[in-house]
Amino acid sequence: MINNPLFLLYGILLLGATGYLEYTGQSFSRVNQQRVLPKSIRDNPGAYRSTYGGYSRYIGGK
Amino acid sequence: MSSSLVSPQLVKAKSLSCPNCGAPVELRGFAHTLTAVCPNCLGVLDASSPELQVLQTFQGKQRVQPKIPLGSRGTFDGTVYEVIGFQQRSVQSGGDFFSWDEYLLFNPYQGFRYLTEYQGHWNVVRVLSRLPEPAMARMRQACRVDGRTFAAFDSMTAATSYVIGEFPWQVRRGEEAVCRDFISPPYMLSSETTGGEVTWSMGEYWPGRKIWQAFRLPGAPPYAQGVFANQPSPYAGKVGSAWRTWLWLNVALFALMIVFTFMKGNHEVFRQDYVYLSGKSNEAAFVTPSFQLAGGDKNVEVGANASIDNDWIYLNFALINDETGQTFDFAREVSYYHDSDGSEGSRNNSVVIPSVPAGRYYLRIEPEMSPTSPSTRYEIWVRRDVPIYSYFWIAAGLLLIPPIVVMIRSTKFEGLRWRESDYAPASSGGGDD
Repeated sequence: MINNPLFLLYGILLLGATGYLEYTGQSFSRVNQQRVLPKSIRDNPGAYRSTYGGYSRYIGGK
Repeated sequence: MSSSLVSPQLVKAKSLSCPNCGAPVELRGFAHTLTAVCPNCLGVLDASSPELQVLQTFQGKQRVQPKIPLGSRGTFDGTVYEVIGFQQRSVQSGGDFFSWDEYLLFNPYQGFRYLTEYQGHWNVVRVLSRLPEPAMARMRQACRVDGRTFAAFDSMTAATSYVIGEFPWQVRRGEEAVCRDFISPPYMLSSETTGGEVTWSMGEYWPGRKIWQAFRLPGAPPYAQGVFANQPSPYAGKVGSAWRTWLWLNVALFALMIVFTFMKGNHEVFRQDYVYLSGKSNEAAFVTPSFQLAGGDKNVEVGANASIDNDWIYLNFALINDETGQTFDFAREVSYYHDSDGSEGSRNNSVVIPSVPAGRYYLRIEPEMSPTSPSTRYEIWVRRDVPIYSYFWIAAGLLLIPPIVVMIRSTKFEGLRWRESDYAPASSGGGDD
């Protein structure tokens, strides 16, 4: 371990970053956050326009 | 013997005149000197008799200036040695021609040492008084001395191309010797065969700056070009060490993963089955019953399992806080196809939403399928505070970089070393230590 102090430091930083990301529950997922949404959406869900609606869908296959 | 006994003031050179040109010739090697070279006419003189008979006259045109002047004194292992002779030796192999320098060092009590230099690489050499044992190392010819195995490196016929100073043997320009080198960095074992007589010597690699320090020479030593046969690898021992460090860091990473696996709540807070009715390109959006997300800002995993077969379902999601209206908008496709060649996709998919504050939430779901798709059952589930193992896999991958880089560099260094060898392994790669 002593022969590779830089590697050891790199490893510790990497472990620290992993622990931080895990602890705070970070994710790579693509999520849009919209803060203002009227309560009427519950009664009329079709009134909401999803960010991901209207994308061309994958219709392929093998 | 202490070096203090060999103080420069006590050693006095014997001065004679060259019978060829009359120039003074100084002899520093006392009775050891058998041949001396006139510094003026470069004639080789027989120093075994006071008459200094001329053995060889200089026919060349170019004089070589030794990098360490004759008469310089340097300290090696606490003993002061004086440079009394210099020779340049050359090898011509095919169209290639190269040469190296050899300095003869003398101490009246300790005898002789040699100093060799090739393209800025230096070796301090002493003659061996015992014969090495033949051996094999990695399927290559080798020799063993003092429990150390030396791998065969090269063999050549070297000719003395230039001499100056004095020597304890009958030196001649043009004299040839068959040289063989065996290496175990930082040492080099060499044999020289001349007229049936074999001399073994042991060289130790010295960086130029150490040589300059030993002789207290001004300026900087010549730049060391390339990798020399017995040059110690700067990566020696580091490859194994790097892999050991990698192993320990992976143990720590695994321990961290175990800790988070147990530390994370990973509670299921919602699960519900739904059916997508066929004949529509997209079904009307709907909302789920609300569910409680406890704790502080923690992640939420929303997943879907669909009983699809060679088909797809696209789900637009919105995770909505029932009280504040805060919305997380995302989408996932579940697609699964298979035939006789295999399969692709999966009947399950999920998404992890980071830092979702505690509160009551519901999902707005807007499913889409192909108009030709049959009615399909799918399940939506929500988990709170889930461990994300992908971080650990990424960290494990990133931890691989340093040992692989060290290994590549070490292999490259050994490749450069063995590139010049007559016994280069097929890969020209090398080991660690």
